Amino acid sequence: METAALIVVLVIGLALFFDFTNGFHDTANAMATPIATGALKPKVAVLLAAVLNLVGAFLSTEVSKTISHGIIREDQITPTEFLPLIFAGLIGAITWNMLTWLLGLPSSSSHALFGGLIGATIVGVGVLAIDFGVVMSKVVLPAVIAPFTAGLIAFAATKVAYAMTRRNDAKPDGRDGFRWGQIFSSSLVALAHGTNDAQKTMGVITLALIMAGWQDSSHADPQLWVILACALTIALGTYMGGWRIIRTLGKGLTDVKPAQGYSAETSTAATILASSALGFALSTTQVASGSVIGSGLGRRGSTVRWRTVGRIAIGWLLTLPAAGLVGAVAALFVAWLGSWGIFIDAVLAVVVVLWIFLRSRRDRVSASNAMSEVADSGRAVKVTRNPPPTRRQRRATRAADSARRDARSDDGEGS
Amino acid sequence: MGFEIDWIAFVQVFVSALTATIVVVASYSLGLRMLVRAGRPPVVAPAEFTDAITVMSEKRRARAAKAAAKAAKRNPLTAAQKRWAFAAAIASFAVCALAVLSGLLLIVIGL
Repeated sequence: METAALIVVLVIGLALFFDFTNGFHDTANAMATPIATGALKPKVAVLLAAVLNLVGAFLSTEVSKTISHGIIREDQITPTEFLPLIFAGLIGAITWNMLTWLLGLPSSSSHALFGGLIGATIVGVGVLAIDFGVVMSKVVLPAVIAPFTAGLIAFAATKVAYAMTRRNDAKPDGRDGFRWGQIFSSSLVALAHGTNDAQKTMGVITLALIMAGWQDSSHADPQLWVILACALTIALGTYMGGWRIIRTLGKGLTDVKPAQGYSAETSTAATILASSALGFALSTTQVASGSVIGSGLGRRGSTVRWRTVGRIAIGWLLTLPAAGLVGAVAALFVAWLGSWGIFIDAVLAVVVVLWIFLRSRRDRVSASNAMSEVADSGRAVKVTRNPPPTRRQRRATRAADSARRDARSDDGEGS
Repeated sequence: MGFEIDWIAFVQVFVSALTATIVVVASYSLGLRMLVRAGRPPVVAPAEFTDAITVMSEKRRARAAKAAAKAAKRNPLTAAQKRWAFAAAIASFAVCALAVLSGLLLIVIGL
């Protein structure tokens, strides 16, 4: 019993640490474009993101139910074998999250978590313990569809924003005003991130509490202290992560215009909030990246850099199996060595995290490092500085030319 | 092992996200357009000049403010029309804020 209690405490600690890494890994999703366009000062942006992540965590608990009720068939696993598996899964998620953060590889914290849990469960219990129908409908399909959906919405929104503020007489168009709008739209993204991502950790902790018999399985809602702890941890992670992004962005992002940033952020927030309300655990990184690409394409004269898109897509594809592999290896230790396996896993996890932390301090943060996946998404679209004229502008030019020709021919006839 | 995929939920997410985004972006853009019509084009300087900003420097901001003031002087609308345009701008921003707040409210009360 004492060992089980110790494992539950370890799982909660590890889950909260995952929540922390999620916060600092994903700060860029909300604050990359407003800092890039100068809508917000970096320090203010990061503080705002942290506070709104905290608030967002209290808004909804739909996603947390997805994790504790669905992907893993809890009824087929005994609590004594399941708790170490959650532990192993979390190790997989954290290790992959930290590694991709260090290497600057685009990745989703949500998929790292799902991958880790799935890998550990397959090794510890077997393939039948995974409900692949739920994995498909709640994780894989949303992962494939979400970036396209967000991109399409951002594309349409950018077109609307530019069309409604376009001036053909070269007078001020008021598009600077989108900087004000960006303060609110980026705040919404931070809120959406808190709503969506903090819940995943709440789901894991709730699952551990149910397995340990500390919570009634018929009431799968996270307890208040769980919500509070997860909200505070993700907010702290967001605030800490922010200092790295300031330096990343100081080295230059992509040419993001305020109208584009506003459209991309609104699309990201709307997609995440709508899916959170319906219980889909979307990756905010993927949604934000899709939105940035979509809004870039919404600008006239832009083209896609498919090589960059391919690199981002490979990173996304790798996350689930890679985190699953680490989770599976961690679960193998538990399966072979029992409690000693948990101890070895814990020691290895601490060593890996410490090594990554020290390594990150040695190498200063640069554009190729840290949380640059959203910035990378911006680079996937090549935008020309002088976009081709719109149909209306072409028509106006043609009309002016023909008027000039007419005037010239009239002058000729007159003389 | 049957896969039950709730396609309707995907469509719901897409339609609600698209509608919300277009309403928020279009109403805000309309607000900006109306501000320009009212002779008050916003010139918002960046809070901080990062390397990513290639289109705005202090000099350019000053030039943009000057151009905005000049355009406002040459605004062909009457004073009453300008007031109406300004009221329309405020109404558009209000629609945008209401759309955001109602969306959040729907999520808080659990749809």
